[in-house]
Amino acid sequence: MSSVTLRDLTKQYGGNAALSLDSVNLEVAHGEFVCLVGPSGCGKTTALRMIAGLESVTSGEIEIGDRVVNDLSPRDRDIALVFQSYALYPHMTVFDNMSFGLKLRKVPKDDIIAAVTDAARILDLEQYLDRKPAQLSGGQRQRVALGRAIVRNPAAFLMDEPLSNLDAKLRVQTRAEIARLHHRLGATMIYVTHDQVEAMTMADRIAVINLGKLEQVGSPRELYDSPANQFVAGFIGSPSMNFVPMHVESVDGGIRVVSAGGDIDVTLDDAESAMIRSAGVSDVVLGIRPEHIDNQPRTGRGLQMRASVEVIEFLGNDEHVHLSSGSHELVAIVDARAPLTIGDSLTLSASSEAIHLFHPETGVALK
Amino acid sequence: MTIDAPVKQSRVGRLAKRLHLSKTVVNVILGLVAIFWLVPTISLLVISLRPESLFGVSGWWKVFTDPSQLTFGNYSTIFSQGFATGGVLDSLLTSLEITIPATLLVTMISSLAAYSLVFGSWRGRDWIFFGIVGLMVVPLQVALIPVVQLYREMGNLFGLNPYGTIPGVIIFHVAFGLPFGIFLMRNFLTGIPRDLLEAGRIEGAGEWKIFYRIVLPLALPAIASLAIFQFIWVWNDLLVALVFLGGNVHSPLTIFLYDQTRSLAANYWIVSTGAVVSIFVPLIVFFSFQRYFVRGVLAGAVK
Repeated sequence: MSSVTLRDLTKQYGGNAALSLDSVNLEVAHGEFVCLVGPSGCGKTTALRMIAGLESVTSGEIEIGDRVVNDLSPRDRDIALVFQSYALYPHMTVFDNMSFGLKLRKVPKDDIIAAVTDAARILDLEQYLDRKPAQLSGGQRQRVALGRAIVRNPAAFLMDEPLSNLDAKLRVQTRAEIARLHHRLGATMIYVTHDQVEAMTMADRIAVINLGKLEQVGSPRELYDSPANQFVAGFIGSPSMNFVPMHVESVDGGIRVVSAGGDIDVTLDDAESAMIRSAGVSDVVLGIRPEHIDNQPRTGRGLQMRASVEVIEFLGNDEHVHLSSGSHELVAIVDARAPLTIGDSLTLSASSEAIHLFHPETGVALK
Repeated sequence: MTIDAPVKQSRVGRLAKRLHLSKTVVNVILGLVAIFWLVPTISLLVISLRPESLFGVSGWWKVFTDPSQLTFGNYSTIFSQGFATGGVLDSLLTSLEITIPATLLVTMISSLAAYSLVFGSWRGRDWIFFGIVGLMVVPLQVALIPVVQLYREMGNLFGLNPYGTIPGVIIFHVAFGLPFGIFLMRNFLTGIPRDLLEAGRIEGAGEWKIFYRIVLPLALPAIASLAIFQFIWVWNDLLVALVFLGGNVHSPLTIFLYDQTRSLAANYWIVSTGAVVSIFVPLIVFFSFQRYFVRGVLAGAVK
């Protein structure tokens, strides 16, 4: 196992003016599980394929362990890649699929058998070793793909959306399995996904990528609690954060931000007011997570809102309530036992800590 | 999860349903068509199994009322010469000498070329492929004389004239088999997911290992089809052999049969017997390659 470091990693495809990956810096520590997450086409898979050696590096450096691997062929990088499509060899049995890499490296036969049996036991594949991939279910194929990576005991595991072809139930199950596997092997893992739930549940740290740029790196909690910008704030969390454009007003020496129409207003404390002043903006974007909106009476600082109920989505334990506040649409998560009906007019609030404010043009978090 | 397998309907069953006919009627009609189609071949076989003396006397179908006419006499006569030059066995060997290398070379070179055209990353490979497809429309006949001249010129320049030799015929067949071979292989290989090659590459396989451990096993159905096509093509060729083997003492079966019809019009017993012999080899090739026609070779590779 070893660390993986990306330094100013940049990728430009021939003839394309836009960079597919723009100066990405990322350090994945030895044994760490890092998720690269972002919308499709953001460059996360490109980054992974560059680490694997399947794409050339336009500029920057990739370091695995203490070697710069830019010019090494994939097979000399000592990494394993689990493909989104699994990429199992259809003409080989499960055993042959898993042992292919070891055979190529001329590992002694006994060691191969030991390694494959071991991996098969961990992944519960022992009784399928003689089968061909076509005779396996989707989940089993996925495990074979994992097994193929495990047996080689590589410096780092790279995974490219390995769960996206599984059905929802199996995905949850396999998610836990991969997390367990990471724990057990103590392996360095870089995991690409577009699903923020996968990233949140498995990763030690998450790297959010958008349009080829690294937006923020941090633990799931950091990303959730203090997103660096509006993109990260909207990407992490489900349902995603509500954003409302607000106008900045001065009142009694302090600052208040109000939505167009005045249905939502937030009173800021002195420190927050100072921050808005120093940013020199007359407009801000308010961010508030659905789970932080409630109907507790609050006075003074924090958010106050008048809204009416448009749609109620019952989810068992709680409900997603789609609200309309003036010309703005918001979602709030409320207890399923709350007696709400469509058309109800509500007075809602949120605590000061739950409020995020973003720069109206750059999207950078002001608070 | 259990899903009831859909009730499988035979092809005849489906056809019967579509034509609003009973299955028996459809089977009888299909059987008649098959027999009608086989009449020339059956007649050939029967003629070869009747004595030479009866050929001009009565029709071959008389054998069905008088099975005692059947004899292997013709076969023992033509085989009795053994491998003597000009005999049927000598021609059979010559045919194999031409056909086997021509088939092997075409399948090998086509697979390699297709691999490079599909999975290579060099510039202009699509244009090269279009060029190769374009070559498929060049009729073989227009190239005969220029190639003969080319062979002669090679003789003048290097003292190595392939004209009149078996390698000369093989080279010609390979050259004219390649465009179609590359076309077929290329189109098949494009169906192999790139992920498989990349997985191999990461696991430590070099280009050559990827080719013969991953791509080639998956391409077996295409290789088998190509091999059968090319084999039958070359096996049945008369024109190229006639032009390029002129004067060679060994000639393939096609020339052997052609000589019989030309010189002695009454030699139908040799023609029919030789023709049956020449049908057998492609049949063996076809049936032994048939097991590679597996549907869904790529099943389970992805998703």
